[in-house]
Amino acid sequence: MADGMVNLTVDGTPVTVPAGTLVIEAAKQAGVLVPHYCYHPGLPVAGVCRMCLVEIEKAPKLQIACATTVTEGMVVKTQTPPAKDARQGVLEFLLINHPLDCPICDQAGECELQDFVFQEGQRGTRYGEYAKRFNPVEDFGPDVLYVPNRCILCTRCVRFMEDVAQEPVLNVSERGDRAFIGIHPEARLDHPWAGNVVDLCPVGSLLSKDFLHKARAWELDKTASICTGCSQGCNITFDTRDEVVVRVRPRPNLDVNRYFICDHGRNHYKWLNRGDRIEAPLVRRDGELKAVDWDEALERVVRILRGASGKAVALVSPGASSEALAAAKRVLSGFDWRGAFQVVMGEEAPLAGVPNLALRAERAPNARGAENLGYTRDYTQALEVAKTAAVVLVLDDSDCAVETNGALIYLGTVLGEHAACRRADVVLPIANVAEEEGTFTNRDGRDQRYSQAKPAPGMAQSAAWILNQLAATLGMAEATR
Amino acid sequence: MGYPHKSHPKETVVLSQYFGDAEARTYKGWVKRGGYEALSQALKMDPVAVTDVVKESGLRGRGGAGFPTGLKWSFMPKEKKKPHYLCVNADESEPGTFKDREIMRWTPHALLEGSAIAAHAIRADVAYIYIRGEFTEPWTIMERALAEANEAGVFGGIKVYLHRGAGAYICGEETALMNSIEGKRGNPRIKPPFPAAAGLFGMPTTINNVETLSAVPHIIKRGAAWYKGLCLSNPKSTGTKLFSVCGNVQRPGNYEVTMGFPLKDLIYDMCGGPPAGRALKACIPGGSSVPILTREETESCLLDYEGVVAKGSMLGSGGVIVFDETTDMVYQIMRLAKFYAHESCAQCTQCREGTAWTTKIMERILAGQGKSKDLDLLLDLSENMTGKTICVLSDSCAAPIVSGIKKFRAEFEAYLAGQRQPVGGA
Amino acid sequence: MTPPHGVSQGEDYQPVFVGKVLDELQGILRRYPTKQAALLPALWLAQREHGWISDRIMAEVAEVLGLTPAYVKGVVTFYTMYHQHPVGKNFVQVCTTSPCNVCGAEAVLQALLEQTGARDAGATSPDGKWTIIEVECLGACGFATPILVNDDFIESVTPEKVTEIVRRYR
Repeated sequence: MADGMVNLTVDGTPVTVPAGTLVIEAAKQAGVLVPHYCYHPGLPVAGVCRMCLVEIEKAPKLQIACATTVTEGMVVKTQTPPAKDARQGVLEFLLINHPLDCPICDQAGECELQDFVFQEGQRGTRYGEYAKRFNPVEDFGPDVLYVPNRCILCTRCVRFMEDVAQEPVLNVSERGDRAFIGIHPEARLDHPWAGNVVDLCPVGSLLSKDFLHKARAWELDKTASICTGCSQGCNITFDTRDEVVVRVRPRPNLDVNRYFICDHGRNHYKWLNRGDRIEAPLVRRDGELKAVDWDEALERVVRILRGASGKAVALVSPGASSEALAAAKRVLSGFDWRGAFQVVMGEEAPLAGVPNLALRAERAPNARGAENLGYTRDYTQALEVAKTAAVVLVLDDSDCAVETNGALIYLGTVLGEHAACRRADVVLPIANVAEEEGTFTNRDGRDQRYSQAKPAPGMAQSAAWILNQLAATLGMAEATR
Repeated sequence: MGYPHKSHPKETVVLSQYFGDAEARTYKGWVKRGGYEALSQALKMDPVAVTDVVKESGLRGRGGAGFPTGLKWSFMPKEKKKPHYLCVNADESEPGTFKDREIMRWTPHALLEGSAIAAHAIRADVAYIYIRGEFTEPWTIMERALAEANEAGVFGGIKVYLHRGAGAYICGEETALMNSIEGKRGNPRIKPPFPAAAGLFGMPTTINNVETLSAVPHIIKRGAAWYKGLCLSNPKSTGTKLFSVCGNVQRPGNYEVTMGFPLKDLIYDMCGGPPAGRALKACIPGGSSVPILTREETESCLLDYEGVVAKGSMLGSGGVIVFDETTDMVYQIMRLAKFYAHESCAQCTQCREGTAWTTKIMERILAGQGKSKDLDLLLDLSENMTGKTICVLSDSCAAPIVSGIKKFRAEFEAYLAGQRQPVGGA
Repeated sequence: MTPPHGVSQGEDYQPVFVGKVLDELQGILRRYPTKQAALLPALWLAQREHGWISDRIMAEVAEVLGLTPAYVKGVVTFYTMYHQHPVGKNFVQVCTTSPCNVCGAEAVLQALLEQTGARDAGATSPDGKWTIIEVECLGACGFATPILVNDDFIESVTPEKVTEIVRRYR
């Protein structure tokens, strides 16, 4: 037991873990998933569901793996008849009042009750002749519905609000089999991080109104990405169905967002599915923007850049990828260059129970990345300089109100009706964050990669690809990092 | 109130000596009767020495678990680094048990004196006496006695407060009691941590039952050897116990006997047995959470921890519930299951759902709709409810069901065969 | 001032914890190292003053103790002695658990329900004077059947004695 490590075996597999590790976590390292509901690594231990009962040699009774700490030489057995019978008993008890809602329940396909019943449960019910407890659905607040009939009282939601959000707005009400999750009638579940209770709920009891009846879990493709809602850089998963983003969920990252995302980030995905996208490159001919192919569009840009000299201004979005931002700078490297961005600011909303985790005031994912590359926040000054610049490059800044006598090259996803960028000489359609891969640098200087979840519409390409093509043609090879 | 009775010659009167003596309730009256001398003595002793005397005496927890009291006290940290707490468990709610109320009603200062000695032994800074909400008379009496004791400086610098429960049997479980004092739902806690390490407000805590603490002054005053000598059978069970006898007996009440006393004598000699002309059918010896005994087992049972275990049950709280031949065992077992279903805190799956389900099955059997597989189902569910939860309320619900089916199967089968109608309380 | 969670108290709400009652609560707070621990006593105070504990009172208690209304509600609904709705002038609790059950407790309950006019357990009698409920073991099993009429603990009640009790409290 030297150096604070403990040796034990789980189902015959030896593992070595730090002292103080819970048996349920040690089991994971042995490749054993002990069935459980109330336990969650991001929440304080409750030990109430009794699902994780395992046999431990020398212990007189079965023990719950989520509340038992490893000891040297411990022998844990999860598959012995007493342990399996006990867990099967728990499942039976959970199912007696649980409605057969699978056909209409959002959780189906990603439901831990389904999973463990399928794995370890009984074939049929012995409760057939009795009525199930019934309570009507409740609207807890902005996005959360509570379906009491499906609730297994694991209390993850109560513990999340009490210990992690530190705003105990959910309770357990009543006693015995009359118990349910309650909320004071005049309160709402409107905490900025409340949506996590829906993820935490192992069954379809807490549901997102936004996702209600939208898609089946098995229809979803999952892609790792990074939230663009603010500069925290929470790791997320895009759930897409038929190439439409239908849901955002947190991806665990113990250094950034633990297991959670805020509601702002959670709801901040609908714009990724906008239909009013620029679908082809556009160049100005005879005073009007005309659709052309990429060769022609890029050729036009190259001609503009080769034919200009003096000042160049890059107005960029702090949501553009670091690759795109770097390439944009290289493309303009022959000019007297300045680059700037502006960030929408909002109110910070920390998750009190987790250090260094908040919905950040800076509502953009890559301001730090932009700054690292030499872009500044002197946006107003940049606009001023742009008026007399030779070239203005606008990258994904669709509200940009720039006016210039020089050439205006616009890379973006949409083209607003009254946008200044309708006066551009060249308009190049780009992919949004769900349609490309790239890197963001969060506020703590952490570089994080995101992946492509769906194809870009029409002829749109990732901004990084476009700008790298231009740089190559102009002879500005990619600088070594 | 027509209580208490005059002590029966076969009783060993220690705790109940002044039951019925109104003057004993007052501080002056208690001192006149030799009260608070044990406390003076204890205060001159080192806390560890006090604990050793109690260990030596063999005193075990009288609330139901029977854990050696001196040993429990010795679990408190040797070095005092944090505030220590004493909790007095006066939440008496185990069906069949009504002894702690008598101690509080008639000898409140006995409890206070015992608490003061315990507080000294465990170096407590604060003591809370948790009294169930329904005990309105004991509350008033304890309030008055506590005011008198504080005026007389009984507790020295130790703060003692009464805390009122609000209707929850589960708050008699020691960790649930602590949660209730802390202003939470009365949910039992998972152990570890144990109360002596992290209990009330996270501080080292000892929880003791009323009857246990009331025995302490006697042990200090008359010595551990004296207490140990009060033993009729197994040397591991010493001292006297107040047995609360109720149900179908002629003279219900609390009777104090030496450990190892025959249950038969308690029921027949002291309580007059069942009403005239009726035979004893069954008995639950330790409050409703322990297995039911048949008549034969009852009549050959010695009342100490080991003696009752030998008969397949437990001494528990010593609440002796007597059922005679007029009792519908199936109905009463249903009523007990209903009790547990009502009191379940709802944390553990097996208890929350199991107590209600077993009650439903029992009700169906009583309604004449039971199926033959229901008995096996009840036994199987009881097995799933035993030894797998945070506290033993779940096990307690299973105990009467398992022992009832085992020992009174014929009554169940009569219902299943449609040969019977339920007989509620006579 | 807006109490937490947008709980609006309404124009006609009379706070409970003012004047002497507030003083009493301050005294209670001194007994515990946390404000939360004063919750059960505070709820008893509120019930004593108001007769029952409404959602609004829960919100007031929460505010006074630095808790959330939802938290207070979770505690109130756990304990059976806190009334969450108005009850009759005489709130009667009758034990019917097994030791009292075999001594005729159900007959006592029936007698009370009939003679008070309450008819059903939990319902309030038409004249508003009685609410009778069935409760679990009251800890007086040797003196069956015990009942509580508000704070009065009455032992050895039989159906015959019910008449006298009803008369006495009406």
